[in-house]
Amino acid sequence: MLRKAKDDAELDDFGRFSEPALLILVSLAERPRHGYSMTEDIEAIAGARLGPGTLYGALARLEARGLIEPLKSEDRRNPYRLTALGERALRVRLDSMMAVARTGQRRLAHA
Amino acid sequence: MNWLLQLYPARWRERYGEEFGTVLASQRASVGLVLDVLAGAVDAHLYPQIQNSQSKPIKGDDTMTLEMLQRCTVGGPKLSPQDRRIASVFMIVSALVMAVLYIGLTKIYHAAPAVEALFYASFPALALIYEQTAYLRKRPWLTQTFVLGAGLLALYLVMLAVSVIGSKL
Repeated sequence: MLRKAKDDAELDDFGRFSEPALLILVSLAERPRHGYSMTEDIEAIAGARLGPGTLYGALARLEARGLIEPLKSEDRRNPYRLTALGERALRVRLDSMMAVARTGQRRLAHA
Repeated sequence: MNWLLQLYPARWRERYGEEFGTVLASQRASVGLVLDVLAGAVDAHLYPQIQNSQSKPIKGDDTMTLEMLQRCTVGGPKLSPQDRRIASVFMIVSALVMAVLYIGLTKIYHAAPAVEALFYASFPALALIYEQTAYLRKRPWLTQTFVLGAGLLALYLVMLAVSVIGSKL
């Protein structure tokens, strides 16, 4: 439980980058991607296009906390992948969001 | 639009500049995009996330040079909370000692230039005491005494000269 709370807290101090960081983790959960590919994927799954300032603000934070890591670059576009820590943080955060969503749906059903 | 990259810190550009430029070039120019990049630049300056391990390693074992380079980096060398606490306590005690000394000397010698010089020197002296005790704490005791003593003496002599000149005007 303590581990779960700690993992969940990994994204808590991201401030305004919290949501973009979550979207990046979701995008990288499928496969390693570079910045441009991430913006395309995030637009497809969330309907929002991240600006480069927001994207790299969130990427730098994720990388600094060891949640993602850069892969060896083939060209100018540096791909990133999820680390084990990032995968765990994403699972915990998604579980927590699903629990909230389930509770909300149940309460709305009874309203 | 790539000129906006110049607003980011050099280390940040070195790390993310190329890929950032690729993403920036792929987006349609708009006010929103410019604001996003500007906000990102402010954030990169305020909260640099670049890890020290990502910087280029400094070769060689010249620890003196390495220490000097670290002192020249933005924000100066890292001080532990204990270093800061000890320096703060030392500075507060020094302030009290100087205040008592000044009051005592004023009672005896009134506004003599030598006493006035002590008053003027006390403010920069406190900053000097904090800096020296914090940054030289791991140095030998003799080095600390010599550097701090020489600094305080030089400061007092300058203030004494100013006070003497001021009293003759």
